[in-house]
Amino acid sequence: MSVAVVAAADDVQPRLSMREVSRRRAIKRFKWSILSPLIALMGFVLLPVLFLQLYFSLHQWTVYLGSWWDADWVGLDLFKEVLTDPRFGWAAVRSLMFATGSTIGCFLMGFALAYLMYKPFRGQALYYIIFILPMLTVPVVVAYTAEMMLYQSGPINDAITRIIGIEFKPAWLTNPHIALPTVMLLEIWNWTPFSFIIMLAGLSSIPKEPIEAAEILGASKWRIFWEVQIPLLRPVIFLALILRFLEAMAEFPKTWALLQGGPGTATETLPVYIFITTWQYFQISKGAAMSYIVMVMMVVIVLIAIRILRQEKQTLDTVYGNKAAGNSGSGS
Amino acid sequence: MTKSKISRRTFVEGGVGLTVANFLPGTTPLAFAASMEESTIAAAKTAGAADVTGMIWSPYLVPMQPVIADFKKATGIGIGGVQDISIFDAPQRAMAEALSRSPQFDFIHIDSNMIPSLASAGYLEPLDEYMKKANFKIEAVADYANFMTYKGQTYGIPTDGNVHIQYVRKDLIENSDNKKRFADKHGKELKFPETWEDEFRIQQALMDPAKDLYGSGSLRNRANGPTWWYMMFYSAGGFTFDDDMNATLNTPAGQYALEIYLQEKKVAHPESAGWGTPQMIPRIAQGHVVTCQYWDGTAKLNENPAKSKTTGNWLYGLVPGSDFSGKRIHRSISSPLAAILINKYSPRKAQAAYLALWLGSGKNSIPIVSDPVNTFNDAWAKEHMKSEAVQKAYSPAGIKAIEANFQVVAPPTYLTGFLEFQDTLGKNLSEAYVGQLPAKDVLKKTDEEWNAIVGRIGRTKLKADLASYKAVMPKRNVPV
Repeated sequence: MSVAVVAAADDVQPRLSMREVSRRRAIKRFKWSILSPLIALMGFVLLPVLFLQLYFSLHQWTVYLGSWWDADWVGLDLFKEVLTDPRFGWAAVRSLMFATGSTIGCFLMGFALAYLMYKPFRGQALYYIIFILPMLTVPVVVAYTAEMMLYQSGPINDAITRIIGIEFKPAWLTNPHIALPTVMLLEIWNWTPFSFIIMLAGLSSIPKEPIEAAEILGASKWRIFWEVQIPLLRPVIFLALILRFLEAMAEFPKTWALLQGGPGTATETLPVYIFITTWQYFQISKGAAMSYIVMVMMVVIVLIAIRILRQEKQTLDTVYGNKAAGNSGSGS
Repeated sequence: MTKSKISRRTFVEGGVGLTVANFLPGTTPLAFAASMEESTIAAAKTAGAADVTGMIWSPYLVPMQPVIADFKKATGIGIGGVQDISIFDAPQRAMAEALSRSPQFDFIHIDSNMIPSLASAGYLEPLDEYMKKANFKIEAVADYANFMTYKGQTYGIPTDGNVHIQYVRKDLIENSDNKKRFADKHGKELKFPETWEDEFRIQQALMDPAKDLYGSGSLRNRANGPTWWYMMFYSAGGFTFDDDMNATLNTPAGQYALEIYLQEKKVAHPESAGWGTPQMIPRIAQGHVVTCQYWDGTAKLNENPAKSKTTGNWLYGLVPGSDFSGKRIHRSISSPLAAILINKYSPRKAQAAYLALWLGSGKNSIPIVSDPVNTFNDAWAKEHMKSEAVQKAYSPAGIKAIEANFQVVAPPTYLTGFLEFQDTLGKNLSEAYVGQLPAKDVLKKTDEEWNAIVGRIGRTKLKADLASYKAVMPKRNVPV
């Protein structure tokens, strides 16, 4: 009997393989049909722009003198100039501070809201709409509205003064020490919904079994949160942090509309400085070199992020793969 | 009485002779002299009907619309579509247009201080030929028409004078208690300030922060600060560059101007470091300011009771001057001075040019500059100064102040690279104002940065620009 079964299995194996081969081919075809328009877009739209940028960053072109194709070759001089420009260095520091602060703020607020919202309750949809409203507000409108609210004698300071009973009058937008944190707060208000949506999706997709098992074993809510939910959410958390960080590094409309890099240079972040260099100073070549340096910086961040995400996924796969194997083993 | 001896034959011969002479080329019969507006229409008709497109901020365009409609009726030339872009953002957009040599806009309405940069980038159409054909002259007050020229050619037609005038609260300065207090403290009469030092004393004496009344309403933010600093610098006898295009800000005149500029922090609102026009204009009109230099259009707003709480409570006059150089010099400033410039790459540049001339005639622009609601276009033409409608909008004292300040008005750096020079100075002044940069380093740093800009744009090129810049500077130190 067993010999016959083995023989039959041997007959089926090649047929299954052919089906598998054909399935894999179909998947491959599907992948290429999705990817080829993107590759074409890259080839015809993005690459020429990148090459043009590269051309400008290697040539010194002054807008007032002649055509850009007559520009002088300067090699890597502009890259050296940018990397030794203290104003660029400070702009990078401000951008990193801004992105880090606002990413952490958005994440904490977004996660807290998502945690409150992930179990269904009556009227949940209304709260959901309210929570995502800031993200639907145009950043420039956020900036102008905030400007009116944040005057020293404006409604925010007035409300806080009334609540705490002591005169509270910080100059949110004109004190160089707090101007950047103020824009950071606006960014957090504007983009918390983004983290909220991602974390809500993450929380909703956590399998119930591990939580129920922990509850049966008598674990406290805090322990369940810290030792079951957080580890399961780690890939989603990383994704939320990385996407938000990249977005925050590129924040321009609010900073520009509110303060144009001022007071002094307190809010001169990388996008603001690149804009000023390119479109106020018309140093197109230096602006191109700056953009390349920032692009390389961002690519490095993205590569690290992808690596971390893969590791997280592998860890989870290993844990659940092993657990699944262990469970089925113990069950047999 | 003597009887003249003219025979009938002589009389008839003379009549025939005059009639013939009337049609000889080169003789312009007085009885039939066409006005500037009529000749603009005649010249525009030769260009053919068209709807031109442009880049203009809507508050400037709205009061122009009836005047444009008249031109459309007469010539078939009107406005098709416009892109509504703020005058503060227009320079960047215009330079992008220049870089791409785009024919998208037939005209742009922009700060005339951009003329050197845009002309150097090859974007601007000279207007002299069109002006000649239309027998058109920019009939501006004093030498103000020079602001439209660069390297001997005319590139712009003004629509907005935008000169700074001095504002002083009449009710406060004429108050007898204030007068006594001021005289007791300073041993001087409290009166309209003549120098920067006078103004600072008045601001200190009359401000009362407890009542939300601050001494100064002048701007100190990064974008606008340089406009005020230039007035102080020029009035101290300073000039931005030597003949070899080396920056000369870090001089005794520059340091004096910086001191005056920064000391105002003591009498300004604590948030002044970040405030621009949207914040300051309401404060001026609502009575929270003792004195300031400001664009002349604010006088129109102050004198409009529907929009102001201080109507009738202002004195207008010449901006303060300085004796620092050993002689009294007053320097007002016009920045941004809005003007219409024509795109060289436009297929409808002739039509756009004639439309600009039409809008820039003294007579046609009276309703534009006297609009009491859309107050962005300010008086600049000789004809405006005599017009009843304009006088009503600004008050006679306002118009007198405008006329006086036009006689001593100067531009900021009227050079290719204007925005770059302006922002660098603005950044450093702003850093000093908020305490990020020691005052002693501001001008040294700005000189270094300006010299680097000169190197980038080209010393030889900028040396050639310098003549145009100097030609725009006022010839008088004190108005007559």
